[in-house]
Amino acid sequence: MKYVVLVGAALATLAAALLVGPANLPLADLFGSPIVWQLRLPRAVLAFLVGGALGVAGASLQALVRNPLADPFLLGLSGGAGLGAVAAIALHLPGPWALPLAAFIGAVGAMALVYRLGLMGGAELDPRILLLGGVAVGAFAAAVTTALVSLAEATELRNAFLWLWGGFSGASWTTVLVILAYAPLPLGVLVAAARPLDLLALGEEPAQYLGADVRRLKQGVYLAASLLTAAAVAVAGVIGFVGLVVPHVCRLVWGRLHRTLLPTAFLTGGILLAAADTLARTVAAPRELPVGIVTALLGVPVFAFLLRRWTVS
Amino acid sequence: MRRWTVRAHLAGLLALAAAACARGERAPSDGRFAVGDDAGRRVSLAAPPRRIVSLLPSFTEILFAVGAGDRLVGRTAWCDYPPAALAVPSVGDGMPPNVEAVAARRPDLVVLYRSGPNVTAAAQLERLGIRTVLFDLNRLEDLGPVARRLGVLTGRRAAGDSLARAMDSLVSQSPESPTPGTKSLVFIVWDNPPIVIGAGSYLDQLAWLAGARNVFHDIGTPSAQVSIETIAARKPDFIAVLSDTAARPRYADRPEWRVVAAVRKGRFLFLPGRLFGRPGPRAGEAVRELRRRLETAP
Repeated sequence: MKYVVLVGAALATLAAALLVGPANLPLADLFGSPIVWQLRLPRAVLAFLVGGALGVAGASLQALVRNPLADPFLLGLSGGAGLGAVAAIALHLPGPWALPLAAFIGAVGAMALVYRLGLMGGAELDPRILLLGGVAVGAFAAAVTTALVSLAEATELRNAFLWLWGGFSGASWTTVLVILAYAPLPLGVLVAAARPLDLLALGEEPAQYLGADVRRLKQGVYLAASLLTAAAVAVAGVIGFVGLVVPHVCRLVWGRLHRTLLPTAFLTGGILLAAADTLARTVAAPRELPVGIVTALLGVPVFAFLLRRWTVS
Repeated sequence: MRRWTVRAHLAGLLALAAAACARGERAPSDGRFAVGDDAGRRVSLAAPPRRIVSLLPSFTEILFAVGAGDRLVGRTAWCDYPPAALAVPSVGDGMPPNVEAVAARRPDLVVLYRSGPNVTAAAQLERLGIRTVLFDLNRLEDLGPVARRLGVLTGRRAAGDSLARAMDSLVSQSPESPTPGTKSLVFIVWDNPPIVIGAGSYLDQLAWLAGARNVFHDIGTPSAQVSIETIAARKPDFIAVLSDTAARPRYADRPEWRVVAAVRKGRFLFLPGRLFGRPGPRAGEAVRELRRRLETAP
């Protein structure tokens, strides 16, 4: 039942994203217009896929570090992506994919560093070390980024930050294909880990006794969720909040089992981000709002309402 | 003694000239070189400054244009016009100003653009005993008052007034409404997210004066983020890009941008940043150059 509702809502959101936009197309021209085929449709699909990926990555990372404040960017990824993007602009790297690719490399670099810290001294990805390592690597990357910005002579650097705040202006069928080709593998790893992630919620030792290979589980989930997030950064910049709040919303509404949580987080994250992007494109036309603002404006009231209901009952 | 007499005589002449010039800044009767700046301060100097630091390329151009360029002892890294400016030592990019580097030039006047960090820097310089003046310079109509006041401060009142009159007349040439058949353009500052120039920018004024219509004239701010869809729907004839080379921007080949007809047809206007990137004494030249490019473009 919940899937029928969610898939229905997803289709309605995508349809709305196709129908409305600043260009004011007459209904008859809708399906022949390049504005719909080349701009609105790939943009809506990309927003949906990125929202879904962030929702799943957030849910898995929260389970992995057993901390409700975890979000996909917490473990140094946004800092690494920012450093990559700014470096690409400061070094004048050519080509349309220089910026996204550099951001991806930066994110993966930060992830690898945190991962290495998490394995040091037999720590075996201790959540506390991961969180601290993530914050430390993120701070270091931010410091290098700021140094680059203040030393490099590029007025374009300001715009690197605009890009980093996230958005779907760069959406095209190419970016959609990149995500479609890339995301299924990490998503598959995470969905396959649904049952062991439930066990991990009991604590690492009990999970081990109940038959989960905790060490491999943590490595797999950490790498898959981070690579998923890095891909999202590459195509859409750093879009906060979705990966933090969507998993909590889904837990409050549909329960804590990851078999349900991961698919619902995918659909809910997709719906939230596609809807937020549609509003970002249209409410302030001809201007466009940064999508992260709309996501928070839409998501926080829903979250507050659910939190209240949950704590009262 | 004799020099003092000459100076007093000159000051008296200047005071007379000021009284005669209705639109000029009022000089106090003691003949000092005084103006009100845009931070609401009264800046008065006992004598024209002999060591000036300019912290905005536009101010550097104006100072050279009024004949005070030989007194510049510091400029920003961006000040590249006129060529003589390059001989002046740079004090950095000026964003925000390096107060120590500025002070090390031992200036007796520092000219700053009025922005938050610059107001702070000006206060720091004043504490070091260095006089500062803060000007707004965002739109073409700001050029006249800045030229006039820099003329007063540097003792080049006549040159400042004449430059100011030229700048003011440029603004007053502005047509009320565009003529029918006007070519339209969009200034694209950045591609992802797309940032365009709105009516609040002097680039919008340059386009208007050159007889072109900025398709985002309805946006009041200097610049704004818009969607590619909005750009496509407004069907600009040209894409104007501030660029020193005629290399097609990297987004021109991206499928989402090719929905914009002018991008697909490659109708780009590459406007050199040295001429178009700042409001300055060459605004009229910029207007003529833009008009020429619009007329000769395919």
